[in-house]
Amino acid sequence: MRKRTLTGRLLLFALLFLGNSTLMSARSQTNAWFTSYSQASASLMHSYQDQDGQARTISSVLAEARKTFDVDFIYESKVIPAAKVIIDVDKYKSVEDFLDELLKPYNLKYKKVLSKAYVIYSSNPELKRLIASLIKEDGLSAAMQANTTNDSRKTVITGRISDDKGPLEGVSVVIKGTSKGTLTDKDGRFKIEVENGNAVLVFSLIGYQTMEEPIGGRSEVSLVLTSKSQGLNDVVVVGYGTQKKSVVTGAITSVKASELEDQPVNRLEDVLQGRTSGVTIAANSGQPGSSEQVRVRGTTSINGSDPLYVVDGVPLDGGGLDYLNPADIESVEVLKDAASQAIYGARAAAGVILVTTKKGKAGSMRVAYDGYAGTQAPARKLHLLNAQQYATLRNESSLAGNKGVVFANPASLGQGTDWQGQIFDNHASENSSQLSFSGGTEKSTFYSSLGYFDQNGIVADPISWYKRVTARFNGSHKINSWLNFGENIGYSYIRNQGLGNTNSEFGGPLSSAINLDPTTPVVITDQNILNDPNSIYNSEPVVRNAAGLPYAISNYVGQEETNPLAYIATKKGNNYNWSHNIVANGYLGIMPIRGLELKTSIGTKMAFWGSNSFTPIYYLNGSTSNTITNFYRDAENLFIWDWENTASYNRHFGLHNVTFLVGTSAWDNTGGGLNGNFQYMPVSNLGQATPNYSLPNADKVANGYDNVAHTVSSEFGRINYNYDDRYMLEGQLRRDGSSRFGSNNKYGYFPGGSIGWNVMREHFMPQSNVLNALKLRASYGVTGSDNIGDFLFESTVSGGRNYTFGNGYQIGYSPNAPPNPNLKWEQTSQLDVGVEAAILDNIYITFDAYNKKTTGMLLAEQLPLYVGASGQPTGNIADMSNKGLELELRYTKKVGEVQLDFAGNGSLLRNRVTSLGVTPYRTGATLQSAAYELARTAPGQPIGAFYGFKALGIFQTQADVANYVNKAGKMIQPNAKPGDFRWADLNGDGAISASDREFIGDPTPHYTYGFTAKASWRGLDVLVFGQGAGGNMIYQGLRRLDIQTANYSTKALGRWTGPGSTNTYPRLVDGDPNDNFTNPSAFYLEPGAYFRIKTLQIGYTLPKALLRQWTLQKVRVYLTGYNLVTFTHYTGYDPEIGGGKNTSIDMGFYPQARTLQAGLSVGF
Amino acid sequence: MKKTTFLYCSLFAGLLLGAGACKKSFLTVSPEGTTLEDNYYQTPAEAFAGLVAAYNPLSWTVVSSYAPKMVLLSLASDECYAGGGSSSDNPGMQAWNTYTLQAATPNVPPDLWNRNFTGIARVNTMLAKIGEVPGLTSDLKSRYTAEMQFLRAYYYFDLVREFGNVPLITKELSQAEWFTQVQAKPADIYAQIEKDLNAAIPNLPATVNIATEGGRVTKGAAQALLGKAIIYENNNSRMQEAASDLEQVNTSPVYSLLPNYADIFDPGNKFNAESIFEIVHTNQAGKTWGNWPNFDGNVGVQMVGPRGYNGPTFESSAAGYGFCPVTLDLVNALKGDPRYAATIVNIDSLAKAGACKYTPGYENTGYFIRKFAPLAAFQSTVGNIELNWRNDEIEIRLADTYLLEAEALVRGGGNQTRAQQLLDAVRARVGLASVPATLDNIYNERRLELATEGHRWFDLVRTGQAATVLASKGFQTNKNEVLPIPLQELNNTKLVQNPGYN
Repeated sequence: MRKRTLTGRLLLFALLFLGNSTLMSARSQTNAWFTSYSQASASLMHSYQDQDGQARTISSVLAEARKTFDVDFIYESKVIPAAKVIIDVDKYKSVEDFLDELLKPYNLKYKKVLSKAYVIYSSNPELKRLIASLIKEDGLSAAMQANTTNDSRKTVITGRISDDKGPLEGVSVVIKGTSKGTLTDKDGRFKIEVENGNAVLVFSLIGYQTMEEPIGGRSEVSLVLTSKSQGLNDVVVVGYGTQKKSVVTGAITSVKASELEDQPVNRLEDVLQGRTSGVTIAANSGQPGSSEQVRVRGTTSINGSDPLYVVDGVPLDGGGLDYLNPADIESVEVLKDAASQAIYGARAAAGVILVTTKKGKAGSMRVAYDGYAGTQAPARKLHLLNAQQYATLRNESSLAGNKGVVFANPASLGQGTDWQGQIFDNHASENSSQLSFSGGTEKSTFYSSLGYFDQNGIVADPISWYKRVTARFNGSHKINSWLNFGENIGYSYIRNQGLGNTNSEFGGPLSSAINLDPTTPVVITDQNILNDPNSIYNSEPVVRNAAGLPYAISNYVGQEETNPLAYIATKKGNNYNWSHNIVANGYLGIMPIRGLELKTSIGTKMAFWGSNSFTPIYYLNGSTSNTITNFYRDAENLFIWDWENTASYNRHFGLHNVTFLVGTSAWDNTGGGLNGNFQYMPVSNLGQATPNYSLPNADKVANGYDNVAHTVSSEFGRINYNYDDRYMLEGQLRRDGSSRFGSNNKYGYFPGGSIGWNVMREHFMPQSNVLNALKLRASYGVTGSDNIGDFLFESTVSGGRNYTFGNGYQIGYSPNAPPNPNLKWEQTSQLDVGVEAAILDNIYITFDAYNKKTTGMLLAEQLPLYVGASGQPTGNIADMSNKGLELELRYTKKVGEVQLDFAGNGSLLRNRVTSLGVTPYRTGATLQSAAYELARTAPGQPIGAFYGFKALGIFQTQADVANYVNKAGKMIQPNAKPGDFRWADLNGDGAISASDREFIGDPTPHYTYGFTAKASWRGLDVLVFGQGAGGNMIYQGLRRLDIQTANYSTKALGRWTGPGSTNTYPRLVDGDPNDNFTNPSAFYLEPGAYFRIKTLQIGYTLPKALLRQWTLQKVRVYLTGYNLVTFTHYTGYDPEIGGGKNTSIDMGFYPQARTLQAGLSVGF
Repeated sequence: MKKTTFLYCSLFAGLLLGAGACKKSFLTVSPEGTTLEDNYYQTPAEAFAGLVAAYNPLSWTVVSSYAPKMVLLSLASDECYAGGGSSSDNPGMQAWNTYTLQAATPNVPPDLWNRNFTGIARVNTMLAKIGEVPGLTSDLKSRYTAEMQFLRAYYYFDLVREFGNVPLITKELSQAEWFTQVQAKPADIYAQIEKDLNAAIPNLPATVNIATEGGRVTKGAAQALLGKAIIYENNNSRMQEAASDLEQVNTSPVYSLLPNYADIFDPGNKFNAESIFEIVHTNQAGKTWGNWPNFDGNVGVQMVGPRGYNGPTFESSAAGYGFCPVTLDLVNALKGDPRYAATIVNIDSLAKAGACKYTPGYENTGYFIRKFAPLAAFQSTVGNIELNWRNDEIEIRLADTYLLEAEALVRGGGNQTRAQQLLDAVRARVGLASVPATLDNIYNERRLELATEGHRWFDLVRTGQAATVLASKGFQTNKNEVLPIPLQELNNTKLVQNPGYN
């Protein structure tokens, strides 16, 4: 059969048709599937000249009839037989008569779909339905029905249409107000003849926003089409498959690659923050390479709430996600409701995050480079006392504590040392390069990429850095029409160093910089000290700078708080971590009959990681020193394998559409590690250290571990039904067996069900320009968590209960925690109702409300200690609830030549622990030398709520102290002095004790929000991405309580100094007899609300005309500002403080950097 | 084509189904280094490992916090203050020092409680298992059983002295019994202690090979503990009985007073002739902070060292934590006594003389414990220094049993000449002249001879001196003789709080 060039407007039908069902293949398959004719545009028509004989092909007969009857025919080329017929078109009075005669012998039918268009089809009711739906498409019918106008001033317009990735094939180009049009070829080029220079061209393609372009006398029109983000016709990835967004009945948030391009996204978590409703993300640290805390619809369990990550179908355990190069991500879907999650059963309770990596597309080879270089600086520093202020306050505190003056002449000390200035780097570098190759043929496609990312930290950057190399090889291949296979292979190599303690009161450069006194110089230059043989600088192995001067050791602040530069010097070049990660899967798919697909997929994660470190001999201060060199090396590994088998069957019966899915899965996670310490190695740094040195066995200590294997074996099934895309029904069930479940509860069943109603598809709903789409949906499901530890259901005996007899160290064995054979998974049920709507043609709204209940959370049963058990048995004891509201908005509009895009989202969340069984509360985070724990988890309260005393202001006079009595007239704080906190006597017993504490704040944000706004005009584009959270409190525990000589924040300048001076900041006194500072109280709490301009980007895309001579597809240059501004009342470094148990507790949090980047994207 | 398609698809479908076949075994995984209890205690070696586990709590110096028994008892008495870095450094210790302990006070009461009940539970487990260990000889079985009985007596002796009213548990508890235990009368606890010791004594060896078994329970240890327990029962009519138990130890050829007092506490001189029952600490395990809290070294040694110390003799690279500064009371009592130098070190005067530097901690007096001082000579070369001190704690030594026997003879109206000889022997060893064997002199001798070894607080309480001697610390009669029952033990149980702590 001869291939024909086709006219545009009818192919548009084809595109729409295909786009509705299989968007991905639409462009490449268009030509092969459809041929048709159009009366117009003779210049584009290859008119048939084969009228020499009477017998003609049916196609050519149709071509003639088109002219004769002035109509269009739409048909799939393969339905038209190759037979030749003899027929006289002119003899028929109507086109219907003609078609009846022509088609009857071939069992073909036709239907008039527009005033001048007929669809020819074999007996497929599905086709009928789709054609019917096509007719509703706006604009097109108008174009179809319009008459051609004749004008003598014809000009030929050429051009090239592309999107931000490259040329677009199959874009419909129609002259507005006519039915005349064409399509772009595989290079995105088109050619069309217009009748006058005032014509307007309409460019449209499924998945892209339709653009209208006035010719304005030009002969060339080239455009970049913008993809229609999150339109209702998009496809979303769901567990074990994909679905049209219009029929999805679960609460699924999706982020596509197009929303991330050229943005500073270094980790998977960055993809989600601020772009997804219902997902709360907080950085665990600003240190390069740090993970972030991800919570889907709140904290699901006391025992860990990290979501399940499924990368290209392979379920991975949480952690180690930085192997994924975000530039390789095609889409990320967050399954938020239990019905969607239930297909992942016992591991889905904390949410499921599906990651799909990029695939190649058939067609021309594409090569893309993207790179940027940036410079980072801290966004803000703390305001700490200078030397003079410090000395003044220390004197005051010491005198108040009846000790002498410490500093004779504070004024002489001046500014002193700014320790923060010593450790922060205002020009930390960051750079990234990505190179990707993709392409393929109809039979085989590939995507491969190489990435390099290198970031230095803004704190102590010699010992805070991160380098990552990633590579990816994705391919998919068709062996024949019913057999295909593919593979996705991701690899990464990471090398990094962290500065040790972050967000910890136990030293590390940050804590030291905050707590060290400013009176200590950075290095000792005083010759008297340097020459004193009794000085520690001459008697101890102190650390020296490059000039040989010793770093100063504070005479006032000790313990773990050391000179940060000395600390850095001991670590610099002396340790690093490394990791290799391979996450891969291969699959084989078979389609034995139409609609049935069998698929088997084998996936793996192989992670190998370890570290090398060398501890030199050093003396940092009296309590922090090392006298024995130690070289430490460890090598650890994790091996996950996963085998998933699915069979899915999809059928249409009229307007009924049913999909069945059944599958099995087996998953196994094992790992282990070995490490060794080598002491007294005759070297002085890591570069020289090697295990090749011969050392006595006593100086070589090895340790290791094997993980208890974690296996999961599952069967699952799902049925999706929809009628006319109008009524949707979905049900799923998964059965999981887990090695962690007790012998009495080895298998768990996790059901889910959801319903949906596309209201606008009802015939009674009027077509409206205000409301374009409306979908209501509801779902309910039950999921589980098997994150419950190993072997808690059986009594085991462990070693390590050792004792020494004589000279012999004996290993003792005894039973561990009493077993709980009834142990089962934690169960989470969730009800979700949602509304999705499209209004005013370009505003998309999604709204969800949910109620999530976790029951049977594992808790150590608090056995009395007299039982003498070595460990507490665990039971399914506690319950928790999360309720929330979520809103997502999208808006796109073209105003003149300016393209506007806006996406925003907001979430409200309420977390409550509803029961802890018989346990009254669980203690939470603590701080060194705080008199009590800072937080508690208790029924009726949010998880880990801050707990402490209530201060009722400050005693201004001794009379205030004497007058502070309880009902019985007893003095409540008889030992207090003016300037001390007046603590609330909550239990009224006339004394301040542990029972006078209450809940004082919630560390978890109650609301999160984010938005992205983009505007582009010709080659210029601007993007703003902002994100925020709030409703939580932050506990600012920056100062070491047990070191009363530690430096203060400048807030201490406002301390109580006499009656009337302040009612909020107590007096300073050594020993703190009233526990003003050691008692946890609201004194330390600050609101954690913030809004952050996360990304501000300006880009310029070079004109195509310029690029063509360089044979480039695309060149874009851009400038990005990252974390430019943070609006917050919080006074610490950074209000975004993750870290699990220590969420929103600031003990010297490594802040996120403010970054400026310049980048370049090139497409070949 | 159709045929092959069908063939391949069938094969494939078979594979899919096959994946579901290997279920149960796939979900049964190996416990990796732990053993199911049902499969354990099946060899003599496993029985020995169970015995070791029952000894293990003896050496705990860190439980949920830093709570070495020796340190705690010193700071509770008039020998030392709490000290440390600040008034809030280790709140439980500060609270005992100031007698402000409450049920909810963290660490100290629960740690003492936990150590001893853990030991009792391990003993009860072993006693339940030991009858059915294949291949265990009857000799070993009876020796192990006797050791278990001694250990249970030892742990209960600590509990009854520290908490007074504790539940009496002599077998493994079933799940139904976890929350139903009630406190026994102290007399019943003592009865059980005596019963266990009397059962153990015949089956224990008189001596053990120091190199391989040093620290394991001997007949002498059991006899000494029995005599001591009877004295603590405070019944003058039984003092003669106690004296005769102690006499068997004191006249045994196995034991003798060391000529040089300081040698008793030398980690290089373990299991010496004066040591009757010794808690063993080792540096061989090379523990690091990652092993927290399972250290086998004596962390108490680290705790009583001066903070920020830099100078000779004392361990200098990890410095001490400054706990238990010695009170001037004790310093003055020992002034001029030949035992002073082995008991107390005056770091402050060394520092003032320029011989060293140190950072005065909270409640610093300048005087530090010398018997358990972290000396450079004994610092560990493996693991963290602070966690691997190998200084043993001698729970019962001959001078103690001499003085106890003397006391029993005086109180029970026994042989006063022998009482005088015993007291004289203790004094003569350090070159002191005889003083009359009155109770006051015997108690005073105990204070000086056994200073900072963990006896003083118990002695003050059992002899009724605590109320006056510890008044300045806040000791309240009829309350502070025992510690509060830890709050956790009262939740959901049938236990009741000790008087005065509600």
